[in-house]
Amino acid sequence: MVQYNFKKITVVPTGKEFVDIILSRTQRRTPTQVHKGYSISRLRQFYMRKVKYTQENFHLKLSTIIDEFPRLDDIHPFYGDLLHVLYNKDHYKLALGQINTARNLISKIQKDYVKLLKYGDSLYRCKSLKVAALGRMCTVIKRIGPSLAYLEQIRQHMARLPSIDPNTRTILICGYPNVGKSSFINKITRADVDVQPYAFTTKSLFVGHTDYEYLRYQVIDTPGILDRPFEDRNIIEMCSITALAHLRAAVLFFLDISGSCGYSIAQQAALFHSIKSLFMNKPLIIVCNKTDLQPLDKISEDDLKLVMEMKSEAMKTVIGQGGEPTDDSGVLLTMSTLTEEGVIAVKNAACARLLDQRVEQKMKSKKLNDCLNRFHVAMPKPRDQKERPPCIPQAVLEAKAKITVEKEKRKLERDIENENGGAGVYSASLKKHYILAHDEWKEDNIPEILDGHNVYDFIDPDILMRLEELEKEEGVLQGLGDDDDFEMDGAELSSEEQAALAEIRKKKSLLIQQHRIKKSTAESRPTVPRKFDKDRRFTSERMGRQLSTLGLDPTKAINRARSKSRGRKRERSVDGGVVDSMEVDGDQSNKKQRLRSLSRPRSRSQSRPPGELVPGEGFRDTAQKKKAIQMAKGSSKKRNKDARKGEADRVIPALKPKHLFSGKRSNGKTQRR
Amino acid sequence: MATRLQYENNSEIGVFSKLTNAYCLVAIGGSENFYSTFESELADVIPVVKTSIAGTRIIGRLCAGNKNGLLLPHNTTDQELQHLRNSLPDSVVVQRIEERLSALGNCISCNDHVALTHPDLDRETEELIADVLGVEVFRQTVAGNILVGSFCAFSNRGGLVHPHTSIEDLDELSTLLQVPLVAGTVNRGSEVIAAGLTVNDWTAFCGSDTTATELSVIESVFKLREAQPSAIVDEMRKSLIDTYV
Repeated sequence: MVQYNFKKITVVPTGKEFVDIILSRTQRRTPTQVHKGYSISRLRQFYMRKVKYTQENFHLKLSTIIDEFPRLDDIHPFYGDLLHVLYNKDHYKLALGQINTARNLISKIQKDYVKLLKYGDSLYRCKSLKVAALGRMCTVIKRIGPSLAYLEQIRQHMARLPSIDPNTRTILICGYPNVGKSSFINKITRADVDVQPYAFTTKSLFVGHTDYEYLRYQVIDTPGILDRPFEDRNIIEMCSITALAHLRAAVLFFLDISGSCGYSIAQQAALFHSIKSLFMNKPLIIVCNKTDLQPLDKISEDDLKLVMEMKSEAMKTVIGQGGEPTDDSGVLLTMSTLTEEGVIAVKNAACARLLDQRVEQKMKSKKLNDCLNRFHVAMPKPRDQKERPPCIPQAVLEAKAKITVEKEKRKLERDIENENGGAGVYSASLKKHYILAHDEWKEDNIPEILDGHNVYDFIDPDILMRLEELEKEEGVLQGLGDDDDFEMDGAELSSEEQAALAEIRKKKSLLIQQHRIKKSTAESRPTVPRKFDKDRRFTSERMGRQLSTLGLDPTKAINRARSKSRGRKRERSVDGGVVDSMEVDGDQSNKKQRLRSLSRPRSRSQSRPPGELVPGEGFRDTAQKKKAIQMAKGSSKKRNKDARKGEADRVIPALKPKHLFSGKRSNGKTQRR
Repeated sequence: MATRLQYENNSEIGVFSKLTNAYCLVAIGGSENFYSTFESELADVIPVVKTSIAGTRIIGRLCAGNKNGLLLPHNTTDQELQHLRNSLPDSVVVQRIEERLSALGNCISCNDHVALTHPDLDRETEELIADVLGVEVFRQTVAGNILVGSFCAFSNRGGLVHPHTSIEDLDELSTLLQVPLVAGTVNRGSEVIAAGLTVNDWTAFCGSDTTATELSVIESVFKLREAQPSAIVDEMRKSLIDTYV
């Protein structure tokens, strides 16, 4: 459906502004530097470009004007006629025609001058031709100045026209001036039309919207119409006539039966009969207004006869629609906008009759078949004996029952938010409404990851039960006794043993000191593990010597050392974690550390076994690869043992003094740039 | 009673909320306006829970549930699952399911007794739906759309389906679901019903673009006021014809 919106037409500049806009754009958007010494083809090119660019801009601007103004023959006849009444079709078309001619003239000028420029033989000549071309284009625009001014005025006026949708449900209010049309629209919509006690207060069409039966109706207030020949009517009245002629609407013909508007019922009846051709095929309602001044049954007999005549005329519209000829409700209605008596009845009657008419027309259309499914309520057929009751909490039913009782307003999260600085400042706790056994648990923090474990994997709904079980078991175990407590303590030793212990400790501290001294003076030499024993200081012979000086028999110790140094026999490895944790349970001091070291990440990726063949490495088979690895190890064994420098060690090939290293940049040194 | 509302200037409120007879889930937003609308209507009766699912706010499209349980997609985080378990009463079973189609809300539509599901859902998922939600499960399409969760919304009292559902389909679906059904739209003609509407047995919330006609259809078919579904063919017929044709 076409939407009519005349508010988006671009502003039309006046002739002088137009020229300024275009010329300054040419100046800004084309090259400005030119020199006598340039080759002549370049000079021609330079000026041709200016001429062409100017013409393009003129063309663009004029085209937008021509395209954006509505073409009166193409738009809805209501708008076509309304614009004709307001602005005069001939004048409007003429103005647009002039714009079009100007556009063509400018194109022609450009063509001519570009042709001439091709023969320009000097800078001066080319420049003069350009000046002449632009000058002529500007003259053309200056000549259409009045048309531009006229179009701008029309644009401004059109932007203020009410947005009437000619195709929607519409109620049209018409009648003599000052009979209460505007008061009525103010009563049933929120249009807020000016109401004054003199004729022709309303000088143009006004739109308001009202609702009836879930639908929105557009209510149009028209200026008053006088009963005179069509040719004599002024623009204001013609607006009403246009609306009456072209809008498929319910028409409310307002009748002032008190005569306080200054026109008698006879005059109003005459108007009715003169424009009754406009009411053809439209639901028509005759509304007798101002019953607070003069009730309908108190008017004189002649007047009543006129009114009844009008009513019978209006009945024809009912019959025309296939309605019952006897059903005369909703054709002649009385109301008073002052006391608001009957106002809503008039609105409802108008809406209902319009809706009936529209529905009847639509029932005949083919489109109805496409949406038949939407007027169908599928009711279920029972398919089994099962009952499927709705589930409405008791609280809801109770609340519904006492809906009349004013219930105290709940303090909403929104209120709390506003009290605490508003959106973006306040941040609500998500834990506030937790349903837990104890309220103080709500704000407890549960870490997501603990010691490399996802805590949630260990959350167990039955945890409390299991804990209880475990505690019970523990209690039983505790009963069995705890006699394997062992602790080293000096107090239980004999004096001889104490002396030996003192000796051992002394020696130990000596060794530590030695080591520290060595480490501090070691400079950057590698610290070699003691087991490599470069200086052969830790031999079993020496140990034997030392032990004998202490008065001990060394043979046993030497034998033990030898047995250790022999190749280890294959043995079954102990299953690590579980046993350990059970054994060291009593140790309190480094519990945390122990826990941490024992908790391994759960899923460790498995590394490839060293001998596995990987395509692309260049080995024939696994055996060859294993052999190569073995050989590589063998070759580096000696070197590693001696802690000598190897090819994998970090090397600074040429040691430079510091000043040659520091302050270097990609682009020279810091000082010398 | 049907309420019109918006989520951060967006009318697709069914995307950002999930309403059932036992609880209401609401997406976490920039302000409390959206939450408070639900809160004022429901908080006296059922818990209204702010949550995210899989770190997103499109919770209505990701989860499916009724008064018996709540099904969450596999990408729901452990924290969210714990938050929901803490916030919902113990009678509601919260279950995360391993299903390739993770937008469960788009694939499953259910009330407390019957569920319609996407035809491609896993067999295990189907069993889980039946167990957790305590419903009969039917693999169905709505007006040729496989995303049954998006294109229909129904409670234990009535249902609204995609506007292009044929009369035969309507009757068939209605017999399956054992509730009256109507083909209609929400949000000024939007056919993604469940995105613009979220409903339980006594209240409904729809997007703020919903027209008066749409709203009254919703109120009648879900029996939210005294209105009965038959009102659609009697009293509202004229208005409907004038709007649609």
